[in-house]
Amino acid sequence: MSKQSEANAPHPRREPRLPGPLSLVRLEEVFDGCVDFAKREVYLHGDRERKATVCYIDGQARSERLNDYVLRPLAQDPMLATAPEGQLFDLLEKGALYAHGAKRVSELDPVVFALIDGSCALFLEGRDDCLLFPVATEEKRSVGEPENEPALKGARDSFVESLRTNTSLVRRRLRAPELRIKERVVGRQTLTPVDVLWIDGIADPDTVALLEERLDQIDIDGVEAAGNLEEYLVDAARSPFPLMPYTQRPDRFCQGLLEGRVGLLADGISLGWVLPGTIDQFFKTGQDRAYHWLVASALSVIRWLCALVTLLVPGLYIALVTFHPEAIPPKLALSIVAAKQEVPFSTIFEVLIMLLAFEVVQEAGLRLPGPIGTTVSILGGLVVGNAAVDAHIVSPAVLIAVAIAGVAGYTMPSQDFGNALRLWRFLLAILASLGGLTGLALGCAALIYHLAGLESFGVPYLAPFTTGTRVPRGHPSLFRLPLPAMKWRDGAVNTRNRRNQR
Amino acid sequence: MKKRLIPLLAACLLLTGCSSLPTAREMGDMALMRTMGIDTVPDGVRVTGSTGPRARGLEAEGEPSLVLTAERPSLSGACLAMQGQSDSFVFFGYVDQLLIGEELASEGVSPVLDYFAQDVELGLGAQLWLVRGTTAQEAVSSGGDEGIDQRLETLQHDGKMGIASISRTAGETYVDLMELGSAFVPALSPAGNETGVLLESGYGIIKDGALAGFLDGEAAKGLELLAGGGAADILDIELADNKVSAKITSAHTQSAFEFQGDTLSALKLTCEVEVRVTEYQRRLSDEERNALQGELERRERERLGLALERLRAWRADCAGLGVGAAMAHPAKWQTLQADWPDWFAKVPVEIRVRVTIQE
Repeated sequence: MSKQSEANAPHPRREPRLPGPLSLVRLEEVFDGCVDFAKREVYLHGDRERKATVCYIDGQARSERLNDYVLRPLAQDPMLATAPEGQLFDLLEKGALYAHGAKRVSELDPVVFALIDGSCALFLEGRDDCLLFPVATEEKRSVGEPENEPALKGARDSFVESLRTNTSLVRRRLRAPELRIKERVVGRQTLTPVDVLWIDGIADPDTVALLEERLDQIDIDGVEAAGNLEEYLVDAARSPFPLMPYTQRPDRFCQGLLEGRVGLLADGISLGWVLPGTIDQFFKTGQDRAYHWLVASALSVIRWLCALVTLLVPGLYIALVTFHPEAIPPKLALSIVAAKQEVPFSTIFEVLIMLLAFEVVQEAGLRLPGPIGTTVSILGGLVVGNAAVDAHIVSPAVLIAVAIAGVAGYTMPSQDFGNALRLWRFLLAILASLGGLTGLALGCAALIYHLAGLESFGVPYLAPFTTGTRVPRGHPSLFRLPLPAMKWRDGAVNTRNRRNQR
Repeated sequence: MKKRLIPLLAACLLLTGCSSLPTAREMGDMALMRTMGIDTVPDGVRVTGSTGPRARGLEAEGEPSLVLTAERPSLSGACLAMQGQSDSFVFFGYVDQLLIGEELASEGVSPVLDYFAQDVELGLGAQLWLVRGTTAQEAVSSGGDEGIDQRLETLQHDGKMGIASISRTAGETYVDLMELGSAFVPALSPAGNETGVLLESGYGIIKDGALAGFLDGEAAKGLELLAGGGAADILDIELADNKVSAKITSAHTQSAFEFQGDTLSALKLTCEVEVRVTEYQRRLSDEERNALQGELERRERERLGLALERLRAWRADCAGLGVGAAMAHPAKWQTLQADWPDWFAKVPVEIRVRVTIQE
């Protein structure tokens, strides 16, 4: 095999990664050249005849714990100097050291990964095994407020990057022992722990099995972004629409588990997925259950209407102004004619360029630090927009149509869903440019066809509207009924227990 | 599945009824015609279109209305000729007001209504007016720089609110002509001064597609009572020692047939009128109220009689009295329907007016 083809070939996956027996020398070979690998030799209670070697990764192990729980007893406990050599290792394992856990290991592979996880390994001369003591550092971001899903009325904690913190946030809310948490490791190089959470007896076991199977099939270098999981777990390549709803809020995550869905948490990613994902999940917010049901229903309807507005308004504007002016009320038509007379560009070009400009301003605002981003948005949106209208580069009606579509898109609780609508907005605008209302109608038909073909873990994406009569329905998706009336879990999710209250 | 999608999409395209995709056209280049007037000329028809006031750009001064006139043997030819007279694309999709000259109406309005019904841009939603005493071209041009569309829109809205003549769309007239054989259309005539403002001038009665005549004054009010439309009117009544003004707020006429055997013996009309006393010298006593009621009933009966007399002379039941009465006698109506204009002209009519006075 040539050097080039060898480089392009997938490298083989070995289990265990570092086979063979354990020895201090082999351990040092594994971490050869690693500046953070540390080794400390200690005489047991000052006895030069009895020497122990402690290995750890600097930065992964917490120095206070290492000093107080491991090194101090080793150096100062007189029992360790007097105990028979045959019993010394047992004494260290059973309590001479103060760590809350101790594990005897004789293979190289688990020792290496334990050190990476923050444990320290204790070697005694003349032995072919070692003791592992967990002294990992717990440096992490504290639990803060969910920035993307602010809460006006409700819990204010948010998932963080630490997986175990996240599972504890869930466990504190769902104290039922039926809450199951299973772990998989994903990523050859990152070895990221990924946890699957569900409530036994409620969630569909087939969905759990399917999720675990798909996690097992993921063979990638690492999990550094949410897409590393999403694009491998669902068939996301063929659709811009998100199939895995996520949340930063533990309360919303737990609500999903209570509804019979299956949760997914990954270390290093401060959000949790709730599966399977149906279209109505992307229109719900964490506040829906906090507000009065009438208010929540009204807001829900507004969000659905805004989805239509952001999707259709630019295309509708092009179709009406360019192809079907007779459908515009006369007074509005007169003002559009007046505003359009000195604009040199065609309506189609105007709308498409303004849509593009809107995306550019938004992208620039996102990429810059907060205050500068705001300035760019104001400068781009207000000043340039106003100047463009004054200079008769664009007509105000186009600016209003594009701005209404853009602002309506921001009402989407899911950024991913909003992004998909933005893409389809362009497509529908182009179709409207080609065929007026006919093109727009065909584009809408294509969109419905596309959505109807999507599935998330075996559940149709449009399930709330298309399950028909065979599958029991849950509750209306457009409205939020009073909670005492919402007695059923969604039938499309196929929960084992459908009733959620007396 | 994708193989099935293509024929499905093709079928969808066919279902739209479009043989090809629509043509794009920029609105900035359009002259939106709001009012159209049609007259007859020796060689065909004369079409006059007006845009109403236009604006050039956002902050510029308003431009005068664009008035275009073309004479051709056909309506479509005249409309096409108007296209060539303007530097903008003349768009007829916003024609809300249609004025027909008296001479053309006498020859027949059906060709005009047919053209409006069949044209892609025009439609039967335009308000229809007959022009008396002048031509439709003069009437359309009388608005000057401002055009006349706003004046006609005001009349139309007033008519819907019951404070002006009953407004009729081309579609309503078209349907009445097909179903009743006759229709009434509000008429306009220019004020006899320099302003040239168009004023209401009764109703024109279209019978068998052509103008039969006009109803003016009290007869026009009688037609409004029969049609149950805009009946707002102030009646000043002189009582013994009290002068009273009464406003008619609503009127509704019901018709019924009376048969002797199988023969129609009478057409009974019951007109319910609601009246509100708006002015008086002193509060009405019961006697005065009864006197007022009697006087009002007499006046309204006279109006109805005047209107019916003219309509019966033209054999034009444009208020749909026969159709209304036929609801109770569907079987007998089948025998009457074909000759109803003749029956309408000769059958005795009994008019009953009931006035309700509100304080």
